[in-house]
Amino acid sequence: MSVSLIILLVVGIILVLMYNSLVAKKNQVENIFAGVDAVLKKRYDLIPNLVASVGKYMEHEKSILEEVTKLRADANKPNISDAQKMALDAKVTSALGSIMVAVENYPELKANENVMHLQHSLNEIEEQISAARRSYNQAVTDYNNAIEMIPTNFMAQAMGYQRKAVFEIDETQRQNVNVKELFN
Amino acid sequence: MKSVSELTDFYYKVLYPTLGKLEKERKHLRYRIFLIGFAYTFVFIFTVLALQNAFLFGLDFFAFLFVVYLGIGTFIYKLLIKDYTHAFKDAIIHPLITELDNRLSYVHLFHVSQHLFERSELFVGRIDRMSGNDFVHGEIEGVKIEFSDLHAEKRHKDSKGRETWSTVFHGLFIVADFNKTFHGKTIVLQDTAQKTFGNVIGTWLQSNNIVRDMLVKLDDIEFEKKFVVYGSDQIEARYILSHSLMQRILAFEKKTKHPVYISFVGHAIHIAIEYNRDLFEPTVFSSLLDYNTAMEYVQTLHLAIGIIEELKLNQKLWSKR
Repeated sequence: MSVSLIILLVVGIILVLMYNSLVAKKNQVENIFAGVDAVLKKRYDLIPNLVASVGKYMEHEKSILEEVTKLRADANKPNISDAQKMALDAKVTSALGSIMVAVENYPELKANENVMHLQHSLNEIEEQISAARRSYNQAVTDYNNAIEMIPTNFMAQAMGYQRKAVFEIDETQRQNVNVKELFN
Repeated sequence: MKSVSELTDFYYKVLYPTLGKLEKERKHLRYRIFLIGFAYTFVFIFTVLALQNAFLFGLDFFAFLFVVYLGIGTFIYKLLIKDYTHAFKDAIIHPLITELDNRLSYVHLFHVSQHLFERSELFVGRIDRMSGNDFVHGEIEGVKIEFSDLHAEKRHKDSKGRETWSTVFHGLFIVADFNKTFHGKTIVLQDTAQKTFGNVIGTWLQSNNIVRDMLVKLDDIEFEKKFVVYGSDQIEARYILSHSLMQRILAFEKKTKHPVYISFVGHAIHIAIEYNRDLFEPTVFSSLLDYNTAMEYVQTLHLAIGIIEELKLNQKLWSKR
């Protein structure tokens, strides 16, 4: 076998490996986003029950409750993009956070078993969502690294792969984590 | 749970009369060991010399004889300290455990089952011999916990058919209920590849580890430096290893001062702490009243039982209550 044929073969194998690793990284991102989507859906399913349980008492917070209901309806629309889902998630997280803070002002709500149960379920789902977001961010970082680093960036360009966005964790959420730490 | 200083007080105050008695026994035993050891060595050498005159052994055979000498010697030593060890466990270790938490039971000659050790998947490969002792088990604040000394070994045979044993794990093995529901497996091991080969090659080797599940890269830099995590589910691994748990595990490892391996399999957390020696054994050649000796017993017990509070295993999530 001539030398040039061997070189060609090696280059071919490297190209295939690069191609496969990029596809694997893209699929990993999609796969994990499906997981994120599943836990987000779990949280959306809790919203009607929550709104019904606290709505009777919360006169002043009607607007937040309406907003949350609207956000849920938006999230359930077919064909929304991943970016839109991520934006909705951020809004729902902050709106639910405000509702939970408001519940503290209503002693009869705080003592209500149904509300308590909802609160605990929400906390648990929040932890799952946080885990899912972290997994997604890691998968996206791996993917973004691959499409920007030499030599896979040339292949990614040829394949038309674009950078993907990570879930931004805003300041208020970071503070939430810190408050939780204090009580632990 | 009692603090380390309360336990140390207990060791020196309440157990003192017993310790004094055991200390006397220890000195007597040490004397006997020297005496019997000396006599044994003398008889052995004398026999070998007598046989040497008759058969003229080669150098190989002398090496073999030396191994035999050590083997018999160890056997005699173990036989000699057997009663003393037993008395020590009954009179010191058992009361210490009960004092620490009276919901715990102690069985001297029992250990965590091989099934649990293998289920943990912390150490891959066949286990041919399993030994251990000092089994402690019980339920504290709704969390079932058990731990013991454990020594897992593997048998090898060379081309000449000679048998040798290698240690897979030797140290403290703890199994406890975990406070979150999960279905897959998450395994936390010491990060040797990244330490040895650097970040790029180390990570590449780890992501291609065929005996393990997927590599889980975590977002805590300190944790990532110290440990490598494999899991069957990326999201679940992060659900278990929250930021606060990662910090607590790091703090726990600092406290143990020994390599720690952790796995989450079948609703339980498995923790292996590699001491590479038998724990909770009485000293024979140094005093039982020595402060460092006492602290070792107290601290190791405190560490094992304290795991529930340390890792907050008693703070159950709603769905697990």
